[in-house]
Amino acid sequence: MSGAPETAVHPGGQWRHRLAGDAGALVLRAALIVLVGLALALASDAFLSTANVLNVLRQASLIFLLAAGLTLVILCGGFDLSVAANLTLSACLAAGVIKSGLPPWLGVGTALACGTAAGAMNGLAVTLLRLPPFLATYAMLWILQGLAFHYMGGQEIFGFPPGFRALGTGFLFGVPVPVYLMAAVLVTATVFLRSTNVGQEIYAIGANPEAARLSGVPVRRRQMLVYMLSGLMSGLAAVVFLARVNAADSGMGEPLLLPVIAAVLIGGTSLFGGVGSVLGTVLGAIILALVINGMNLLDIRAQWQPLVVGVVLLAAVMVDLVGRGRRERIG
Amino acid sequence: MPAFASSRSVERRVRPLPAILPIGVLLVAGALFAVNGFASARNLANLGLQASILLMLAMPMTLIIMSEGLDLSAGAVLSLCSVVMAESLAGGHGIASALAASIAVGLAFGLANGAMVSLLALPPFVVTLGTLGIAEGASLVLTEGNAVSGLGSAIATLYALDVFGLPFPLLVALATWLTTYLLLHYTRFGTYVFAIGGNRDALVLAGAPAWAYHIAIYAFGGLVSGVAALLLTGRMNAAHPTVAIGMEFDAIAAVVLGGTSFERGDGRLLGTVLGVATITVLRNALDLLGIESSLQVVSIGALILLVIVIDSLRKSRRVQAA
Amino acid sequence: MARDDHDGDGSGQPAAPAPLLSLRNVSKTFPGVRALDDVSLDIRAGEVHMLLGENGAGKSTLIKVLYGAYRADAGTILFEGKAVDITRPADARRLGIAVIFQEFSLVPFLDLAQNIFLGREPRRPLTRLIDHARMHREARGVLDSLGLDYDTRALAADLGVAQQQMVEIAKALSQRARILVMDEPTAALSERESNALFALIRQLRAAGVAIVYISHRMQEVFALGDRVTVLRDGRRVATLSAGEATPDELIGMMVGRAVGAVYKRRQYGAAGRIVLDVRGLTTATGVRDVDLNVREGEIVGLSGLVGAGRTEVARAVFGADAIVAGEVRISGASVEGGPERIAARGVALIPENRKLEGLALKRSVQDNLLVASLWKLFPHGWYRAGSAHRHARALIERLRVTPPAPRRLARALSGGNQQKIVIGKWLAAGCRLFLFDEPTRGIDVGAKSEIFALIEDLVERGAAVLLISSELTEIVHVCDRAYVMRAGRIGGELGRAELSEANILRLAMHET
Repeated sequence: MSGAPETAVHPGGQWRHRLAGDAGALVLRAALIVLVGLALALASDAFLSTANVLNVLRQASLIFLLAAGLTLVILCGGFDLSVAANLTLSACLAAGVIKSGLPPWLGVGTALACGTAAGAMNGLAVTLLRLPPFLATYAMLWILQGLAFHYMGGQEIFGFPPGFRALGTGFLFGVPVPVYLMAAVLVTATVFLRSTNVGQEIYAIGANPEAARLSGVPVRRRQMLVYMLSGLMSGLAAVVFLARVNAADSGMGEPLLLPVIAAVLIGGTSLFGGVGSVLGTVLGAIILALVINGMNLLDIRAQWQPLVVGVVLLAAVMVDLVGRGRRERIG
Repeated sequence: MPAFASSRSVERRVRPLPAILPIGVLLVAGALFAVNGFASARNLANLGLQASILLMLAMPMTLIIMSEGLDLSAGAVLSLCSVVMAESLAGGHGIASALAASIAVGLAFGLANGAMVSLLALPPFVVTLGTLGIAEGASLVLTEGNAVSGLGSAIATLYALDVFGLPFPLLVALATWLTTYLLLHYTRFGTYVFAIGGNRDALVLAGAPAWAYHIAIYAFGGLVSGVAALLLTGRMNAAHPTVAIGMEFDAIAAVVLGGTSFERGDGRLLGTVLGVATITVLRNALDLLGIESSLQVVSIGALILLVIVIDSLRKSRRVQAA
Repeated sequence: MARDDHDGDGSGQPAAPAPLLSLRNVSKTFPGVRALDDVSLDIRAGEVHMLLGENGAGKSTLIKVLYGAYRADAGTILFEGKAVDITRPADARRLGIAVIFQEFSLVPFLDLAQNIFLGREPRRPLTRLIDHARMHREARGVLDSLGLDYDTRALAADLGVAQQQMVEIAKALSQRARILVMDEPTAALSERESNALFALIRQLRAAGVAIVYISHRMQEVFALGDRVTVLRDGRRVATLSAGEATPDELIGMMVGRAVGAVYKRRQYGAAGRIVLDVRGLTTATGVRDVDLNVREGEIVGLSGLVGAGRTEVARAVFGADAIVAGEVRISGASVEGGPERIAARGVALIPENRKLEGLALKRSVQDNLLVASLWKLFPHGWYRAGSAHRHARALIERLRVTPPAPRRLARALSGGNQQKIVIGKWLAAGCRLFLFDEPTRGIDVGAKSEIFALIEDLVERGAAVLLISSELTEIVHVCDRAYVMRAGRIGGELGRAELSEANILRLAMHET
């Protein structure tokens, strides 16, 4: 046996260091939401008003729709840096279609198609070309962003038909429409992940791609699928976002990237794959929406937001790390 | 196994030239002949200035990528350093203390990045994405989103200075190249950059504190960003909080185009320089042709993907031959 | 029992030169396993000391104790007569103990001089910049002393495996190594390269360096060795001078274990139809023209030394590695493709490294148990948690996994139970052919027994089993017959009557 040198390996955190199972992790997030909510309620009178709470939910939905697809990709062991740029391009194309007089549902279709196509390109880059996911999606980020810039030519497109706008701003039985979409996506995604074979395989691939492969799981096919689903979700999020802000410009998606990644990580999905849930991402999105809402209520200037989100992101990553006990180097 | 493997003699194999070289030459030739206005002295001088900042960012990025890492925050940190420098100048301080402040900020971010990547073993792209946000946020907060001006004339004068016939910015950029070269090839730090990327265990076995050198790689990046802020601020005689965000993409592109690989601890500074030149020429030519920035970015993005694929193919071919 | 004759010359008188390194009553225990048991050993300057022993005898552990990767639990180490403490590689290096690895030690894109001096680069006094001229000069000197004409500016990545090994030796020498430990150095070398290596070793020996050499090739032991130490089950059995011993004697010392088989077969198989038929299998991973077959109801062993190609054969059959030439037939039909295709034909692989390749440690027992049979249990794609839970519980019961908790994470289970899960994952998939790669490695005796019971159960129900194991007793007592591999080929086949540890070793080590 060749004597491979033994660099000290700290074994993965024992299972008892994690809260008992995923349920415990979710309870923790819910508790965090309650805590943050309490703090905000104490700090600001405006927080507990119905309008504000609904606003938070609406904001959370927007973050969540984009984060849901990313959650799938990360669960499967990959990553997608291009989700926000995908949203931008899809939204701009949809805006162009709608503004040119074509029926809004065609615009929706365009966004979904564009999103899925971009997702498919990511999938091909990772499965066929075997590029590392973060590199491939980073390059794709710039390509999509560039195409959006080009398409928009520095202009803005605004003013959409009210029927379309209702998707983003409307209410249904007193609850904002995007919240229903969030619920729908949550249910669909959770059923997909927990109650289908493909969903189980996705978790397996994320947890240990080689073991999954040696268990007969069609790894590359599933990876392709999750990237395409992520793209589809970007398209959907694009539609809702477009409807909400009633305008499209080539910078619209960019500020979403950090909050979306933070939402996924705060929600308990591990960067390394195989662990996490879409429900967790919902909670993560709510937490992030609360943070942003809190900053607005407390009159903290908008410029602080990227900074705060950056800190939150790093904190989430570090908590993820400690929780999994993945220290593996001495050097 | 290669035929010579059983011989007792081994020659240093001639390294193939980076693919960027012929591409770059073709591009420059094409631009010279086909693009109106490219060959003018004024345009070329401008090119040199534009390339200077990018070159400075790309030098430490080469080291970072050689160590299997990435620094997505470079552009944002550069912007922040520029803002800090401008605020200092606007507050009446001299260039020296402004520069010191700028370097301090850059170094702080570099150390933070390095610590998280080296000690906590966090993935570099996520870490630097986070610090990107923090740096960008800090810039925005400090400036309220506005440009910082009223810096006096000192820094603009410095920028426009000609030293022995070379423009000051070019001089600084070349000095950075030289420094990086010396570090990479004449110090232990440089040797260990190769090791951290190529075989970190070997370094640990050899008894060297690999973790410390790993941090130093990112710290170097932060430091250079601090110095590069001098050029950035001097060029406009003002600081804009988000002007350099996105420059890290060009820097990464330049490194990748230049032949430095992400996985093997193989680095070519000269390749990076050629990459910087190519990208600058490409952007300039496309500008003159009226093609807008967004499409320029698309083409560079596609180029990166292409080069990465070629690199992977070359690697697998070499493995098969072995 | 070990004779108290450390220098092995049989005279019973103290050896003339004091040993360079002495181990006295060194022991090292891991949970459940006594890797080194009261080992005492002398290593002299200017000798080639061969270490022999079958897989698991303790050679690896001994090496690791020597260079500081492990710390001995008991006993002392004496260097030149004085007691020393070796707790880290740096300690070993300081004493002049160097180990040659086959991997992990060269940086690909640094040149040879830089690699040789990694961590100790000479610097100019004033500027503290690396003194390349001196580094290359000294590297040149070391390489020359070994008769190697390598350009010191060549990159490590440009070298073949054999040459990299030479550079490793140069690196060790430049650190003034007085004891060189080499672990199967010729495993990846051609005959010419091996001879070059031997010439080098003889040179070093003449210069007073002590060489500890682990080998499985009898030829080498007698061609190169001065003394031979045989280890078995963590104990030193004997130390002989190479001139005195015979191959059979050595083999006898390596295997002579007290009787008491780990497992007793209920009955040996009445073999049915051929399930696995491999012809001319050749792969890029080192398998050369292998023919073998396995029938229903049989447990066929695949034996051989580490590196002989056994795992590679199993992986190729399962589609995990690409096949360059040859054919694999499952129940008469030719198969090809990746693991998903092969698994769909009813083939199961229980890989060598259960933690990295067999399990998803961060998932639950239940999830791991069902991952390979999802589509068999739920053909329409709808995974029903309740049903899944029941299936998992049934499997846990059948396998006797403890604790019987389907929701517990796989990583929390003991090695034996983890292995049961890796096996269990294929049970629900209805497989006809099982490829076991070291199923009982690192498992306590009780669990081993259970696993063999499981395997026998499988063949009694008509499955075919190919069993790869490095433990000769296992092969002898559990298998109906066995193939022995050597250097990527089938060295021979042993039927039930001929199946003995000695015969296996003979086929595994003998070179025509």
